[in-house]
Amino acid sequence: MRRKTLTGAAGIVIALVIGALIMMAEGFHPLATYQALFQFSLFGLSPLATTIRNSVPLVLTGLSASIAFASGAVNLGQPGQLVMGALCATAAGLVLNLPAGLEIPALVITAMAGGVLWSGCAAFLRRAFGMSEFIVTLMLNMIADFFTAWVIAFPLLDPHAYSPMTRAISRSGWLPDFGGFSTTILFMLAAAAVSWFVFQRWKAGYEWRLSGQNSLFARLGGCDIDRNFVAVMLFTGALAGLAGGLVVMAGPHRFIKGLGGNYAWDGVMIAIVANNGLVGTLLYGLFFSSVQTGALGMELITNVPSEISEVLQAVLVLVIVAGRKYLGAALDRLEARRRASERRAAAGGGQAGGRAAP
Amino acid sequence: MDPLIRLEHIVKVYPPNVVAVDDVSVGFRRGEIHAVVGENGAGKSTLMKILYGLVPRDAGRIFLDSRAVSFRRPAEAIANGIGMVHQEILLVPEYTVWQNIVLGQEPTRWLGRTDVARARKLVRQKIEEFSFSLDTDARVGDISVAARQKVEILKLLYRNVSVLILDEPTAVLTPQEIPQLFGELGRLRDNGHTIIFISHRLDEVLRLTDRITVMRRGKVVGTVQTAGTGKEELARMMVGRDVVLTSRRAPRQPGPPVCEISGLSYADPEGRRRLADIDLTVHAGEIVGVAGVEGNGQLELVNAIIGLIQPTAGQVFVKGLEVTGLPILARRSLISFVSQDRARMGASLGASIMENVIMTHHRLDAHFSQWKGLLLNYPFARRFTDELERKFSVSMASRLAPFSSLSGGNQQKVILGRELLLESPFVLLDQPTRGLDVGSIEYVHGQILRIREENRAILLVSADLEELFLIADRIVVLHRGELVADLPVEKTTMEEVGYRMLEGRARAS
Repeated sequence: MRRKTLTGAAGIVIALVIGALIMMAEGFHPLATYQALFQFSLFGLSPLATTIRNSVPLVLTGLSASIAFASGAVNLGQPGQLVMGALCATAAGLVLNLPAGLEIPALVITAMAGGVLWSGCAAFLRRAFGMSEFIVTLMLNMIADFFTAWVIAFPLLDPHAYSPMTRAISRSGWLPDFGGFSTTILFMLAAAAVSWFVFQRWKAGYEWRLSGQNSLFARLGGCDIDRNFVAVMLFTGALAGLAGGLVVMAGPHRFIKGLGGNYAWDGVMIAIVANNGLVGTLLYGLFFSSVQTGALGMELITNVPSEISEVLQAVLVLVIVAGRKYLGAALDRLEARRRASERRAAAGGGQAGGRAAP
Repeated sequence: MDPLIRLEHIVKVYPPNVVAVDDVSVGFRRGEIHAVVGENGAGKSTLMKILYGLVPRDAGRIFLDSRAVSFRRPAEAIANGIGMVHQEILLVPEYTVWQNIVLGQEPTRWLGRTDVARARKLVRQKIEEFSFSLDTDARVGDISVAARQKVEILKLLYRNVSVLILDEPTAVLTPQEIPQLFGELGRLRDNGHTIIFISHRLDEVLRLTDRITVMRRGKVVGTVQTAGTGKEELARMMVGRDVVLTSRRAPRQPGPPVCEISGLSYADPEGRRRLADIDLTVHAGEIVGVAGVEGNGQLELVNAIIGLIQPTAGQVFVKGLEVTGLPILARRSLISFVSQDRARMGASLGASIMENVIMTHHRLDAHFSQWKGLLLNYPFARRFTDELERKFSVSMASRLAPFSSLSGGNQQKVILGRELLLESPFVLLDQPTRGLDVGSIEYVHGQILRIREENRAILLVSADLEELFLIADRIVVLHRGELVADLPVEKTTMEEVGYRMLEGRARAS
């Protein structure tokens, strides 16, 4: 745990330094840029609220990817599951008009059902025809993209809008803000807590984890790995679908073209950076959200283009992922060296070999 | 006499703090066969890999002919005349013998084309020089394991290596093939080659070598002349106490049949026959040993019993219940299973010790359930892990330490403990002592004999004939997927079983 924090923090610092060098090469002032970046994402109640709200879809899709990968299911369908969740929540919100206390849970559940439907297709194709979920989920992303584009352009098109979008959902389904803090945060925290509990405390979670590490061992141990695979796909699909529903319910309150954006791919990236750890996914999700949120502010007060934040994110991913392996190995080697010299001192003889370990 | 190779104060620490080689100094003389023996984890292989340039050392010096040397990769060691043959044989099965031998150092004609005629001639010369019996044009995929080992040795001789390091070369051979290898090694020595022979089989070492270095826990215990020592002294040096593997099997009347296999056949997806009409019964309180050269159907037999593969015909009954066709979990309530491959099948190396201990129990034992089976009862899992640690005297740093942090012997204790605590009537053991040191083997044998006293039925697949003769009541022999012999252990000999393993029939006398 301490080592994870250490390598993560070291990775972030190194990445920021490399980012600074890139900015200097481009002729920008790095300190001023970073100041602007974090001023608009962390310092102050309103920037902080924005950062946290923006982190919701990142964290939820990130959790979805983390749990899937750690359980040995290569679910890369978060983008499709997210837009299907958003579409289902929107459709339900257009049809239903219940009191908020019923409307909001109803929409949240339909959003998750949308994600489950989509990941369930992949799970079914794998179970029935042995098709790899890796490729199927990727293909389903495309289908979901074009399907939602068609739905909002034809059956659910708002005829008064200038671009393809649906009408707004019933007002009772809008998620309120409290002092700038969106209530989507509560759903995100609840989902994260449930995910942790299922993954770490349920029997099913134990089997998912063990299957992810060594599926043959789990199978010989009596785990029904086929059923577990389906369960993982459905569970992670629900998380991605929930992300889509919350985007609609907190934000534009309708499905507009390009709603899914890059959330889900960023979520997959965060899962990789967090090495599929759930707590890590939550923390890195918040951090990447702060970089993305601050980028807009940075463009406002400095003349640094907001694209530099994407460069920074790429550097962060590379440095943290590469650094985790390298720093871990380096710490191990340091410890080994210390032990070796202890042994040598104790033995009182021998000289270090002519070659140093790299 | 000044040794040809001298290792001085070698230290190797595997990160983070496993001291594999602990201040070792040893010398190897020109033209001797020098054994390095020790239990698993004693550091013999690591020491040799350091010499060969495969593993970097953390301290110490190496002298070759009184000249300080340091090899960063095996190629440098080979260029200096030192070669190593590993336990796993690394050849291209599709290539012929001569192609494998010259690979990477082919004699060439103009434009870099391989000079096939010269390559074959060179290889044939080497084969004749050392009178190895090998066909230069046979495909490596078609020849026996023993022959492949010869190819590995020839590969090094072709590169004019004068020091050969052999890492447990006899582990993959049948009893009949070993004398031939020893004859070849003897001829190499008489030719001026130096041979370093890693092993933990004392009989072989005493038969073959000139000097023996014993290692224990990363240190050298001593180097002795083979002529002046014996098995008991070496065993004592290796384990630090007296251990002689002797049969402790008390005669016992077997009880009713527990596992009955009838007409079991299996053909792999390519249609090759792997098991042919196997009939086998294991009774309560009986240990049935399965012998055979690796790849003659043992793995398929085990997999069919446990449910990893569906047999093409035949049935398996345990306690009168037909298990063919049942899911693995249903079989596991009747069958304890120790697989031959700890890392792939027996455990999850990255998971914690506790997570490994509770596997299968978490489904079969209601104590592990909370909230109607939704939650795993972690407090009980912790107590259960402690119980296993105590009952099977496992030494572990903590329950939550990764399984991979355990030594090989302790890993096997955890796996064996987990399976025996299932209390199933039928125990299926697939090479349960593979890769273990003498002390751990003794422990595992003791446990197997203990559960025999508890009237459980035991099917023991083993590549080690000595082991089968030590503890089994009956030995059956698999040959090309057929059960060719079923012999009570008192009425047969190792030679007879070995002959049937190779030929599939009794020796014509």
